[in-house]
Amino acid sequence: MNQIGENLFYQKFDNGLKAFVLPKKNFNKVYAIYSTKYGSIDSEFVVPATGERLKVPEGIAHFLEHKMFEMPYGNVFDKFAELGTSSNAYTNYTSTTYLFSATSAFEENLKLLLEFVETPYFTKESVEKEKGIITQELRMYEDDPEWQVMLNLLRALYHKHPVREDIGGTVDSIQKIDVDTLYKCYNTFYHPSNMVIFVTGAVEPDQVFEIIMEHEEKKNLPPQDEIIRIYPEEPNTVNMPHIDVKLSVSRPLFLLGFKDADVGYDGTELLKKEITLNLLLEVIFGKSSPVYEKLYEEGLIDDRFGFSYEGQRDYGFCTIGGETKDPGKLKDELVNSLNEVKVKGLNEEDFERVKKKFLGDFIQGFDSLEFIANSFVSYYHRNINIFDFPETLKRITFEEANCRLYEFFDFNRMAVSTVYPKEKE
Amino acid sequence: MQEEVGGLSSVFSRRILDNGINLYTCSTDKFKTITICAFIHQNLEKSTATKTALLPFVLKRGSLNFPNSRLISRYLEELYGADFGADIIKKGERQIIQFFIEVVNPKYTGAENNIIDEGLRLFKDIILNPLTEGSAFKKDYVEQEKDVLRRIIEALFNDKFNYAIERCFQEMCKGEPFSIYKYGSVTDLSEIGSENLYSFYKTVISSNPMDIFVLGEVDEEQIYVKLNGLFSFERKEKELAKTIMVKEVEQEKFVEEKQDVNQGKLSMGFRTGTRYGDEDFYALMVYNSILGGGPHSKLFQNVREKESLAYYAFSRLEKSKGLMLISCGIDFDKVEKTIDIVKKQIRDIKEGLFSDYEFESSKKSLINSLKEAADSPSMIISLYLDGIINGIEESIEEIIAKVQSVTKEDVVNVAQKIKLDTVYFLNKNSRGESL
Repeated sequence: MNQIGENLFYQKFDNGLKAFVLPKKNFNKVYAIYSTKYGSIDSEFVVPATGERLKVPEGIAHFLEHKMFEMPYGNVFDKFAELGTSSNAYTNYTSTTYLFSATSAFEENLKLLLEFVETPYFTKESVEKEKGIITQELRMYEDDPEWQVMLNLLRALYHKHPVREDIGGTVDSIQKIDVDTLYKCYNTFYHPSNMVIFVTGAVEPDQVFEIIMEHEEKKNLPPQDEIIRIYPEEPNTVNMPHIDVKLSVSRPLFLLGFKDADVGYDGTELLKKEITLNLLLEVIFGKSSPVYEKLYEEGLIDDRFGFSYEGQRDYGFCTIGGETKDPGKLKDELVNSLNEVKVKGLNEEDFERVKKKFLGDFIQGFDSLEFIANSFVSYYHRNINIFDFPETLKRITFEEANCRLYEFFDFNRMAVSTVYPKEKE
Repeated sequence: MQEEVGGLSSVFSRRILDNGINLYTCSTDKFKTITICAFIHQNLEKSTATKTALLPFVLKRGSLNFPNSRLISRYLEELYGADFGADIIKKGERQIIQFFIEVVNPKYTGAENNIIDEGLRLFKDIILNPLTEGSAFKKDYVEQEKDVLRRIIEALFNDKFNYAIERCFQEMCKGEPFSIYKYGSVTDLSEIGSENLYSFYKTVISSNPMDIFVLGEVDEEQIYVKLNGLFSFERKEKELAKTIMVKEVEQEKFVEEKQDVNQGKLSMGFRTGTRYGDEDFYALMVYNSILGGGPHSKLFQNVREKESLAYYAFSRLEKSKGLMLISCGIDFDKVEKTIDIVKKQIRDIKEGLFSDYEFESSKKSLINSLKEAADSPSMIISLYLDGIINGIEESIEEIIAKVQSVTKEDVVNVAQKIKLDTVYFLNKNSRGESL
């Protein structure tokens, strides 16, 4: 049992699959996820079976996620529904995750999850039909200004890296998706050695491992070598200093970002960098900062102002912003305050206090099974153990944070994205 | 007498503070946090909606002992990132001011001071000791927060998904209090000043019904004594109006609005004739689940899976007002086809044309989500509050038992009462494609 009162159980299976269980005895629910390290950025790779180097249409990882629910007998949603269970899935830049949330019939549910994620079944007809559904999903995001301002920021920050493309692709790119390519993607990235299972809630670890063991033994899949993923060479500079668009909104939306040049590693070092940068952002722009107070009182921001850093092995960026009446002024103020803090350095008392907040927030997260499972997997795919969070946080020194401050917030690697309202007709 | 069943722990015990405030407590070690919420109830009315909405915004800016937001945030950070907030919720024709604070149980952080007491100190100060200048709120705060509230009201326009739902309800319930937005209106903001808002605050705090909830690992007796001491002030409670449920539809309405958008948003508003507190409400829950409550539902299966018309298509209930809303995002030229399919699903349920699979899956799915709600402090409190507003206090276990006993016949019966009132469609501007 660790400091925050949780126990984690682990087992590795012969085919390379790993499973983790975190029991929460007094919860009603079981939340289970089956996740592959395969997201929208993995758009070029070598097919292991043939050695063929393949570039696939944008949005195919997400398309594949939709189609995985199709089974030879119909739709697996229906099977989960018979058990009263809600099932779902999500795709992001680096992973695809399938999940269910159940309060009864755990064994049947887990078997169903294993079975459907391990059964690719794509037909020409159903692939064509899905294009209509996903087109509507993409249209929905086209009308979502917060999503658009974010997408444009990534387009401004990155020249070539596929993180600059929408996770779902475009209405045009998904038209190019076919059955054959879907199978190639599946067979490359859905090998057990590239996947992880995480179960939390009202379960016994032994029972979970037994069910998985029995299931995987039947499959008897041969091991697979490391997948070769091909990413374009990405310069450290930004692609464009700003991107502006007009949408049907009441006020401008503004996002400022910095591109991380210190990339190429994962594991605890990446965790440390991620926490350090998030601490910095909180100290400089958080609600207890003089900057936040000033911008708020000037009416440039409100509670919807936000910031975060996201770090992956091969890319990283931070975003700062929100809705504002004056994007130009907000940009100047944010830049000035960063300049100022770079000259003066951080305040140590603020730094220590924000560390306390981060510890509390982390522990608070463990009241939510969704938070536990989704964060665990997101860290796992980056070779990070989530339970290293408190210790890593504790070890970050004031000096290290100050160093990171000068290094990261380099204005040569800054870009901004703005959504302006359309003129009234 | 209520007993805890299995791992469920949604049972509150109710006590009344000396001045009449209701205190609901539930001691459980299931969660790592202790959640404290206060709800101040108000009639949803045009004359008071905007003023009421502004109160939590102004109050959370600062109080007598915590005079500005920065100090409050620093204080919360010292309490290991305690969550604190104040906002407005709308349930039926009731507008509710909500304050909450959530602190991490000190046994997990190694905190030495009494975090609950420290949290309560701030909580009480924000609600009861506002920062004043004479007999007015601090003027700067009122002016700044009026601007924030204006922006928040106007930002609904950015969120086309919720915009299309809110607009449907507005058109449908024109002339009824329910058509008022939970944050009030921009036009009513201009007449609010720091003085009239402060006198309004004093009336609200001393006469509107108030409930406090505490959920987490606490000693219930001690918490009662503490809160009775902290919240001891003179009040004389007024009675609130009950939400009016309109059952009949004089004429179906179709409302179309045009904007520069890429996807059409269809909302359909219905009068169900049934609300929380009625015997057949649980049958309505099952009805709604069959129609549009998830992947097993008729809307998902027919609008999305069979016809590929939409990515999302669902129905939901407004349980205090007896309304049902259907929402989906579709191509502009598919609106008639979609409405036809939706209407057919509704006719089918009315005629009893739903399978055992649809019926059983719907019940199980409802029960699953109710049990899941018992794993979340905010959901436990929200569900209980729904009951209080509608004059019933029941645990999640009791709701489950009632859903369980619903028959197919009950569903068909409740279906007969459901009437389409308003179809709202957010269309694109005819000027053509946006780039």
